Amino acid sequence: MKKQEQINKLIEETLESLEGVARAEAKPFLMTRIRARMFRHTESAWDRAGWFIGRPAVLLTGLCLILFINAVVVVFNRQPGKAAPIEQLSQSPNDEFSYTVATIYDIENTQP
Amino acid sequence: MDQQELIVQLQQGSESAFVRLVDEWQDMVYNTALGIVQNAEDADDIAQEVFIQVFKSIRSFKGDAKLSTWIYRITITKSLDHEKRKKRKKRFAFVQSLFGDGNEEETQPAEFNHPGVQMENKEKATGLLQALDRLPEKQKVAFVLHKLEGQSHREIAEIMKTSLVSVESLIARAKTNLRKLLTEYYKDKIIEPEKDPL
Repeated sequence: MKKQEQINKLIEETLESLEGVARAEAKPFLMTRIRARMFRHTESAWDRAGWFIGRPAVLLTGLCLILFINAVVVVFNRQPGKAAPIEQLSQSPNDEFSYTVATIYDIENTQP
Repeated sequence: MDQQELIVQLQQGSESAFVRLVDEWQDMVYNTALGIVQNAEDADDIAQEVFIQVFKSIRSFKGDAKLSTWIYRITITKSLDHEKRKKRKKRFAFVQSLFGDGNEEETQPAEFNHPGVQMENKEKATGLLQALDRLPEKQKVAFVLHKLEGQSHREIAEIMKTSLVSVESLIARAKTNLRKLLTEYYKDKIIEPEKDPL
């Protein structure tokens, strides 16, 4: 009980601790720093773009959009009725027993 | 030179008018930013950004509000943006620490002391400012403008583009939340004296 009273008293005193507070003064030569910054600081388009893209809302929206586009592409490319063409797995006997000699030697060794 | 004349000269790009503007409003801007971000270096950075912004966009100032109100709005926006950036960096650092090797040192911000607080109130004001930093944005801004800048509820309503009733409600809620936070703060600090066994 005593502790609670003590806390309440401290809280009231704390809430009043900013009564009569003086305004904090800016550091000297602010104008000089502003001038220097105005000449130095030229924010490029890339800086602005980086700042914009780095915002969580934009980042999340972008990510969702990419996932959505991916899903759309997958769904539309899937055609259930159409079977995939069967590739010709067996070589024709003609190809397999072909005795054709590589002509590269003929081209390079023109001399008998 | 009255305010209207100052605005006209600023819109014409007069440097002497800009110097006068900075001289006149620098403490107001710095003090407001300091109340919100609670760091002297950051508040100084924000003050610079605010005046650069004022210089760049003075042509778009139509005079529907007082110049001071407009500057307050820019200061508050910049300060809150800074706070958001800081929180984002903290989140990123946390994620990095999860994937890192655990060698990163976690730096705790130093306790903030407002330079305008009277000596005998320093300790209590530090506790209050710590609690203030945990309030929602709008409550924090309304409280800072009221307590640190001494603005009336009507002026705060104009700065925050809201109604007088909303400002009163914001400040009342801020005080309620501060009481809750301070109760926790003092409960940890105060140890009940041990009872006499006899």
